[in-house]
Amino acid sequence: MIEVAVLTGFLGSGKTTLLGRLLKSPRFARTAVIINEFGEVGLDHDLIETSDESFVELQTGCLCCRMRGDLVLTLEDLLRRRDDGLVSAFDRVVIETSGLADPAPILHALMSDGPLARRVALAGVVTTVDAVNGLAALARPEAVRQVAVADRLILTKADLVESKASELSARLCAINSTATVLTARFGDVDPERLFAVEPATGRLPGSRPRPVAPPAAETAGAQAHHAGVSSFALVREEPIRAVALTLLLEALAEQCGRDLLRLKGIINVAENPERPAVVHGVQHVFHPPAWLDRWPSEDRRSRLVFIVEGIARAWVEALLAAIEIEVGEVADRG
Amino acid sequence: MDPRCDPRMLPALDALLRLSLSGWRIAGEVRVEPDGTLLVRAGDRRLRVARAPAPLPFRWVVESGDKSRGARSVAGLLRIVRAALDKDFRPIRLRIAPLPLAPP
Repeated sequence: MIEVAVLTGFLGSGKTTLLGRLLKSPRFARTAVIINEFGEVGLDHDLIETSDESFVELQTGCLCCRMRGDLVLTLEDLLRRRDDGLVSAFDRVVIETSGLADPAPILHALMSDGPLARRVALAGVVTTVDAVNGLAALARPEAVRQVAVADRLILTKADLVESKASELSARLCAINSTATVLTARFGDVDPERLFAVEPATGRLPGSRPRPVAPPAAETAGAQAHHAGVSSFALVREEPIRAVALTLLLEALAEQCGRDLLRLKGIINVAENPERPAVVHGVQHVFHPPAWLDRWPSEDRRSRLVFIVEGIARAWVEALLAAIEIEVGEVADRG
Repeated sequence: MDPRCDPRMLPALDALLRLSLSGWRIAGEVRVEPDGTLLVRAGDRRLRVARAPAPLPFRWVVESGDKSRGARSVAGLLRIVRAALDKDFRPIRLRIAPLPLAPP
């Protein structure tokens, strides 16, 4: 499988600078890059030094709006050229979106295109946030959605500012409490921590992700709303039956559609409590639940993290409760 | 009442439907009737939600006027109720492959 990472962030937030630095790292030597520029004349590709032709510029419009087909075709073409030996045998692709892109449709394209999904695996979404102008940028819904779907948030230009950092961090936490936050000074961030994921835990090596479940005092309500986006976590002490999990995901996809920005979860499945199941979803597209080899810690509670727009935590809880009762009734009837 | 019916089901469904109306931004109300059915009222629409009688291959029946539809699950029930009340609702029909119970 080829890892595909999505690098997004609002206009001027430092995506291209970060990418340029990363590509100079030996760790990223076998990386192909797709850059989506929005505008008549693309410049970003000229700002990045690449060693070969494993580099594609998509300049036909904003990737998220109408060019999903282009992205799929471009990736397929890139993979074909790799197979034919026409480009270096890259083992990672980084897609840099335009600054105005909503990343969710791009993730859709990667996760839902059958032939492509069999060859590539989503390695994560990295979102750059300008420490200087980030607060102002978050007034824009595009910027909020970019933060909401991120696995890692990279605070760029942090060397230029100190005073606003805590306010910005609080704002980012309110939008997406589960993303790991890294700081880039002078465009530098440890490449090891950017895209690498521990398969067994879904965590970055050496990182200390913020807790999935907020403290009890916070769980009574969702995190603060920003441009309609909020996040909350459901925690279940008791294992969840496999069929209940399936029905929950179907109902969420059907009822929530694009308002479900991101769903991540680690589930204690009643039928197999020794191995947790992991679920990932973006809007109405879900990865098939996957099993981890073991629990990453002593905590064996089921934890589902939702990043949503206009969906009430209470509704999700009521939905899960009703489904669990129903599944219990059916099971009891044998 | 069928003793195999979980007594928590009715209040759970009542809460879910109330929260659903709110989430769908539909002004309406949900009422539990003495016979264990639920009445959903929104505008000029009246829906009656009841457990399906035993011979039917459904778990729930939703009656609206002289029409009735069966639902196999709570998720299906929500879909029917919302479709009856929200003319803009376009459900995304998604099938999640059941979680394999024996991990590889």
